[in-house]
Amino acid sequence: MNEKLKKVLADVFNLKENDINKDLTKDDVSSWDSLTQMDLVTSLESEFYIELEMLEIASLTSVKTIIDTLINKGVNLDS
Amino acid sequence: MIVEGSIALVTGGASGIGLGIATDLLNKGIKVIIFDINQNKLDVLNKNFIKYNVDITDYELVQETINDIIKKYKRIDVLVNNAGVIYNEPLINLMNPSNMKHSYDNFKKNININLNSVFIMSSIVIEQMVLKRTKGVVINISSISANGNAGQTAYSAAKAGVEAMTKTWAKELGAFGIRNVAISPGFIDTDSTNEALNSQTIKHIKRNTPLKRLGEVVNIAQGIVYAIENDFVNGTVLEIDGGLII
Repeated sequence: MNEKLKKVLADVFNLKENDINKDLTKDDVSSWDSLTQMDLVTSLESEFYIELEMLEIASLTSVKTIIDTLINKGVNLDS
Repeated sequence: MIVEGSIALVTGGASGIGLGIATDLLNKGIKVIIFDINQNKLDVLNKNFIKYNVDITDYELVQETINDIIKKYKRIDVLVNNAGVIYNEPLINLMNPSNMKHSYDNFKKNININLNSVFIMSSIVIEQMVLKRTKGVVINISSISANGNAGQTAYSAAKAGVEAMTKTWAKELGAFGIRNVAISPGFIDTDSTNEALNSQTIKHIKRNTPLKRLGEVVNIAQGIVYAIENDFVNGTVLEIDGGLII
């Protein structure tokens, strides 16, 4: 998984980077709530130079959907 | 002013911080009246408490009950406005895009429970203090959230209102010798805190509190006794929060 994305998620949800994986959903993370969702959106936008639409924001409920959304926005997560 | 035979009324006194306060006052020889909306919790309390099942947002019921208390016990020396409900809801919820806004009904409901109830209780009890020329003290339990806490629009607004009323009444009623004090707890280790906040958030709070722990109910009870005993304390907001700033 992309290291930069791992770091963003670890910072936003106050997790260890080792605990971040593609299968993680908001139900697995007790700190993933409506307030940290705002942090998540602003962090993804500033770190990956994108602007998210409302429907995309609403879909960000798992690491997998975050990755899919970033790829759809043209972000290269291979590195 | 704390003396054996004084009469104190504690709202929300059947559990949590309220019960801690009520128990501490009872142990100091004060006659303690408890108002609580939860009959089951009242039923299991120490028989030395005087217990009333009261919804403190019901103006008429509070008026009738206070009239009854005055008839039976003649006066109230101390009112502790402790009852309240922690409530979390952000102004905008990105996780619910079809209905992102804070519910107005929830906002009104929480202002009613956490702010209007303090007005109802205080106006009715203080009227009796003035009529009986009781040099009493009203202690309002505020919260660190009165400074504005993300995710707590209604609760923060209510507690800021409670602090404003405390300062206003301190100025209005000082001439009668009636003091008004607020106590602003940080995060206290109670069932309601543990129900309102998830474990991750509690860890975060502990990490950000200079004393690295949640407060104990006894810390708030100690603040109540200080506010009662020190009769030059008036219009003060006493912060008991382990040094936490939000």
